[in-house]
Amino acid sequence: MSRMWQWAAPAATLGVELGALLVATALFAFFLAFVGAEPFAVFGDMYTGAFGSAFAAQDSLARAAPLMLTALCTALPARLGMVVIGNEGALLLGGLAAAATAMALPTGTSPSVVLPALLLAGALAGGVWIAFSGFLRERRGVNETISSLLLFYIGLAIFLYLVEGPLRDPSSLNKPSTYPVGDANMLGDVPGMDVHLGLLFGLIACVIAYVLMEHTTFGFAARVTGGNLRAARVMGLPVTRLVLVTCALAGGAAGLAGAVEITAIHGSANATLYAGLGFAGILVSFVARHHALAIIPVAIMMGGIEASGGILQRRHDLPDAAVDVFKGILFLVILASETYVGKAEDAVQRMAAKHAAQLNALRAAAPAPAPVEKESEAST
Amino acid sequence: MSEDLGLWGIPIAMLGGMIRVSTPYMFVSLGETITEKSGRINLGLEGTLLIGAVSAYGVSYKTGSPWLGVLAAGGCGIVLGIVHAWLCSRPRVSDIAVGIAMMLFGMGLSFFVGKPLIQPEAPQLPAIELASFSEIPAVREALRVNPLFLLGIALAFFLRWAFAATRIGLVLRMAGESKDAARALGYSVERVRMLATMAGGFLSGIGGSFLSLYYPGIWNEGLSSGQGLIAVALVIFARWNPMYCFYASLLYGAAGSLGTALQSAGVDVSPHLLNAAPAALTLAIMIATCSRDRALVGAPRELTVGA
Amino acid sequence: MSQITQMAPSLEVVAMTMRFGAFTALEDASMKVHRGAFHALLGENGAGKSTLVKCVIGYQKPTVGDVLLNNKEVIFESTKDAHAHGIGMVYQHFTLVQNMTVAENLVLVRDRVPAVIDWKSEHKALELFMDRMPFRVPVRAPVSSLAAGEKQKLEILKQLYLGRRLLFLDEPTSVLTPSEADEVLGLLHAMTRKQELTVLIITHKFREVNAFCDEVSVLRRGKLVGGGLVKDLSTDEMAKMMVGAEPLRKPAPRADVPAKAPRVVLKGIHALDDTGAQALRDITLAVSPGEIVGIAGVSGNGQSELVEVLAGQRHAVSGTIVIDGEPYTPTREMIRKKRVNILPEVPLDNACVPGMSVSENMALRDFDVPPIRKPGGLVSKRALRDKADRLILRFGVKTPSPTSAIRVLSGGNVQRAVLARELSEPSNVLVAANPCFGLDFSASADIRAQIVDARNSGTAVLLVSEDLDELLELSDRLCVMFDGAIVHETKPGATDTITIGRYMAGSLSDRASAHPDAAE
Repeated sequence: MSRMWQWAAPAATLGVELGALLVATALFAFFLAFVGAEPFAVFGDMYTGAFGSAFAAQDSLARAAPLMLTALCTALPARLGMVVIGNEGALLLGGLAAAATAMALPTGTSPSVVLPALLLAGALAGGVWIAFSGFLRERRGVNETISSLLLFYIGLAIFLYLVEGPLRDPSSLNKPSTYPVGDANMLGDVPGMDVHLGLLFGLIACVIAYVLMEHTTFGFAARVTGGNLRAARVMGLPVTRLVLVTCALAGGAAGLAGAVEITAIHGSANATLYAGLGFAGILVSFVARHHALAIIPVAIMMGGIEASGGILQRRHDLPDAAVDVFKGILFLVILASETYVGKAEDAVQRMAAKHAAQLNALRAAAPAPAPVEKESEAST
Repeated sequence: MSEDLGLWGIPIAMLGGMIRVSTPYMFVSLGETITEKSGRINLGLEGTLLIGAVSAYGVSYKTGSPWLGVLAAGGCGIVLGIVHAWLCSRPRVSDIAVGIAMMLFGMGLSFFVGKPLIQPEAPQLPAIELASFSEIPAVREALRVNPLFLLGIALAFFLRWAFAATRIGLVLRMAGESKDAARALGYSVERVRMLATMAGGFLSGIGGSFLSLYYPGIWNEGLSSGQGLIAVALVIFARWNPMYCFYASLLYGAAGSLGTALQSAGVDVSPHLLNAAPAALTLAIMIATCSRDRALVGAPRELTVGA
Repeated sequence: MSQITQMAPSLEVVAMTMRFGAFTALEDASMKVHRGAFHALLGENGAGKSTLVKCVIGYQKPTVGDVLLNNKEVIFESTKDAHAHGIGMVYQHFTLVQNMTVAENLVLVRDRVPAVIDWKSEHKALELFMDRMPFRVPVRAPVSSLAAGEKQKLEILKQLYLGRRLLFLDEPTSVLTPSEADEVLGLLHAMTRKQELTVLIITHKFREVNAFCDEVSVLRRGKLVGGGLVKDLSTDEMAKMMVGAEPLRKPAPRADVPAKAPRVVLKGIHALDDTGAQALRDITLAVSPGEIVGIAGVSGNGQSELVEVLAGQRHAVSGTIVIDGEPYTPTREMIRKKRVNILPEVPLDNACVPGMSVSENMALRDFDVPPIRKPGGLVSKRALRDKADRLILRFGVKTPSPTSAIRVLSGGNVQRAVLARELSEPSNVLVAANPCFGLDFSASADIRAQIVDARNSGTAVLLVSEDLDELLELSDRLCVMFDGAIVHETKPGATDTITIGRYMAGSLSDRASAHPDAAE
C-alpha cells in the first residue's frame, strides 16, 4: 500500500507540470495566431526542428549539455535553502580560466594533460567564485542572491577586460579573443554521435548530484539544513562547511560548463561565450524543482526549443526570438503552477492518510490472515 | 575640442555622459525602490526596460510623436508589472524565479517585436539646452540634457516627500515592513504590492524609452547592458532612499561614461572595469555593513533578500 | 465614535463558555469589572485567560455568553467593533512597525488618516498629547531605537491616543525591568483612580496584583474559581485559587538509584534573548545520573532560552557547562560522545524537518554513523528504513507510512517519533522541554513513562515544563525559575503547590536580591 502512495505524489506533480505545458502551448498558440502565424504548423515544425531528425536531436542535445551543468549551480544550493543566481559569472570565469590555462601551459604539452587541466581550471574558477558568495553569507550575513548577482557583474567585467586586453590574441581583430587553445586540445565528441563530450559531463554531473543529495550522508545533512535550519543546529550539523562545499560544487559545475564551451565549441574565450547559458540554467533548475535528475529532461526540452529556432525562421519567417517568447511563457506558466503542485501533494498526503486509517480499521476488525497466504508469497 | 579646454575637457565631457547614462538607471531604480519598499523584489526589470524601449520606438515611429512612445512604454511596463505581481501573489511561487522568467520573456518578446524596427528611424525626444549662453561647444554639448533626466530629478524629490508625508507612502512602507501590522489595520498587502509593482514597471518602461528615443536613440538587440538588473543592486546601494538613488544613478552613470571620456583624453583604462566598479562598490559596502545577526540597515523587513 | 464614553466604562462578562470542538477552553465564566477599576486576571498557562479576553474583544465569538458594557449588552462581530466601543488590547508581542517612527506609527493606526500629512502640525499635536499623558516616548524616534520598556509604553500610549477607555493588557511587564514595571503600572493605576481608564491586566505576578490592582479574578482550567477585592484576599488565598489545593498526584514508580556525583553542571550561565534583553541570570544547576530535575515556572521566564543554550541554538554570554567532568559545547561530535539528547518544545519546529519523511527524521542523529552510513559516505536506505520500522513499532508511532512527511502526523505522534529517535539508544543526558504540551492523554502518559524509564536506567534528566502537576509527578528535585534566575530548589515531597505558586509568581525568592535592578 505504502509503495503505491509513494509514487502518487511525484505522479501528481508530473501531472500538474504536464498540464502547465499544455496551458503554455495554448497561450503560445494564441500568440502565434495573433502575429499571423499558423500555430499547428509552427508546433509541428518546432518538434521537427528539435527532435525530428538525427541532426536536430543532436543539436538539441548539444544545446542541452551546458544547461545541465549551469542548472546545478542553482539546484545544489537550493537544496540547502539558498537561492544562487550567479551562474553566468561562474560560467564566464570558468571559460576564461580554461583559455588562460591553455596559454600558460608550455606548447607541446600533450593534449591528454592539457585538456583535463583546462577543464579542471574552469571548474576551480567557477567553484571559487560561488563559494565566495557562500562565504559572505556565512561570515557576514550577506544575502547570497544579491552577492551572486553582483559577482556576476564583476565576473563579466573581468572576463571582458582580460579577453580584450592582456589575454587578447593580436590576430583576432574583428572579434577580440584569447589565444586559441589549439585544435589538438579540443574536446572531442561522444563516440558514435555528433555531440561533444560535454553532454556526457552534464549527464554524469546530474547523476552524481542526485546520488550526492539523495544517497550520501553529505546530501542528507544538506537537506536537513535546507529543510529546517533550527533542527540542523540542534543536531549539531556543520552548517558553514555544508554551505561552502555545496557552493563550491555548484560553481564548479557552472565553471566546467564554461570550460566545455571553450574547448568543445568556441576554441577560445570571447564575447560569444556570454550567451545567457547561466540564466537559462537558473530557470531549468526552478522548473526541475531543483532535483538533479529532473534537470536532465528539462534541459533537453530547453535545448530542443532553442534548436527549433532556426527552422521557425526559415519556414515561417519568424524571428528566432519566437522561441524565447515560448520559453518565457512556458516558464512563467510552470512557475504559476507551483501552487497547484503544493495542493496536489497535500491532497495525496490526505488521501494516503485516509486510506491508511481505513486499512488499519479493517485490520483491527478482521481476523488474522490465514497461513496459506504466506506460502503463496514465498513461492513467487 | 578638448584642446581648447585643456584638462577641463575630461570632466566636461563626463558631465554630459554622466547625465545621459544615468537617466535609465534613475527611472528603473526609483521604480524598483517603490516596489521593494512594499516588500517585493522584481528581478524582471531588464525585460521591462527592453519592452519599454521597443514599444516606445515602435509607437514613436508609427505616430511620429516620441512622447506617445514614452507613454506607451510606461503602459507596457504597467502590464508587465501586473503579470509579475499576480504570479508572485500565488502561494509557493518564488519571486526570484518569476523575476528571472519575466526577464527572459521580456527580452525575447522585445527582440521578436523589434525585428522590423532595427532599420527604421523613429522620431527622438527633444533635448533641452541648459547652457545656450555658452560659446564653447563642448559645454553646450555637456549641458544639453534630455527632459527625462529633469523628470527623474523631480521624481526623486517627489518620492522622498511621498514616502514620508502621504498616506499612500506610509501604507506602502508598512506593507514592506510588517505584513501583520498592515493587515491588522485592514489594508490588503497584496493589493499594495500589486500597485507598487505596476508603478515600478511604469517607471522602468519609461527608462527603457530613454534608451531608444534619446541615447543611443536606436533599437537593436544590444541596446541594454544590463541596466535593468543592476538597478536592483543600485537600490540596495542607495539604501532604498530615493535621493540616494538619484546620486547613485549619477555615480553609476559616471562610471559608465568615464571610460569613453578618459579614452578620448588619451588615458587607456578598460571601460569594462569601470562599468563594474559600481557593482564592486555595492558589494563592498554590503560586506562592510552586514553582519550575521542583523539585517541590512534600511532594508524593508518583508523583503526576502534584505537579511 | 459616538459610542466611546468620556468616562471609563464598566465591563461585565456573563456565563461565558468557549468550546473548540470537544475541547472546552472556558466554562461558565462570569466576571464584573467596575468602572475605573484596575482588575487583575490571574491564572496559570492554559487557564483560559487569553480565551476570555479574545472573546470579549471580538476576536472570536464565544459559544455562549454575554458581554455588558456600562450595563448594556453589546455584541462584537470583530475587533473593529470592540475598538469602536473604546476597547483596546495591548498584546505580549509588539504590533509596532519597527522601522517607522513613533509619530508614523501613531498616525497610521488612526481611523482617518489624511491623504497628505502635515507633519509640522501632527508632530505638534503629538507632543501636546504626550504632555497630557503620564509617560512619554520621543515622537520622532524610530521605534527600533526604543528599548523594550519604551516600546511597551508606546503600545499603551497608542491605545490612549486612539481614545480607548477600557484596556486589556496581556502580561505587560514581561519585557519590563521591575522599576519600569512599577512606573508603568503605577501611572496606569493613577489614571484608573481618576476614572479616566478601566484596566484589565492578565498576569501571574502576585507582587503586581498586591501593589497595583483593586480587584482580581482567578481562572483555573477554564473556570473562574474565585475573585474579589485584592485588599480582602491574601496572597496564599490567591495562590490556592490559582494552582488548586488538590492532593499531589502520586509520583511515578521509580527505581531506587544510588546517589551519584553530578553529571551535568551548569555554572553562572548568562544569556540574552532575541531582543537583547537579559534572559538568563547566573544559572547554576547540577543534574546527577538517575535523577529528574524539574524546572517549574510560568513561560517567558527564561526556560526556553535555557534549553536553547543546552541545545546549541543560543550562545551563552558567560558561564560554563560541564558534562562528566569535560567542558561541553554542543557540536555533533560532543553530542554523540556525551550521549546528550534534547526534546525541544514544539518538536515540529525545532527538532524535525517537516518536509522529510518519518524515517528520515528518525535518522537525524545517526545518519552519519554505521549501520546507516555505508562505506564511501553513502546512506543505506535499507538500514535507515529498517531502523525506522523497528522504532515505529517499539514506540507506537502512528503514521500512514514510514515515508510520509512527518508534518502530516498528529502532534503526539511527532513527539513519539522524536522521542524514539532520542531514546533508541541509552542516553546519558536528556533535556526535555514541555514534552507533553498539546498532546492527548495517552500520548502524554506514554512519553512520561519513557522519561521515567530513562531516569531509571541512569540518565540525567532535566525536565522543563509549564505543567506543575507533571513536574510534581516526575521530578526528584524541583527548581523554580522566575525572571531568568533560579529562585527556589526543593523536593516534591517537601513542598506544596501553593508555595511553588508563590515562587513562580515572584512573590518569594531564595536569591540574595529578588530584584537585581533594585539593588543598584
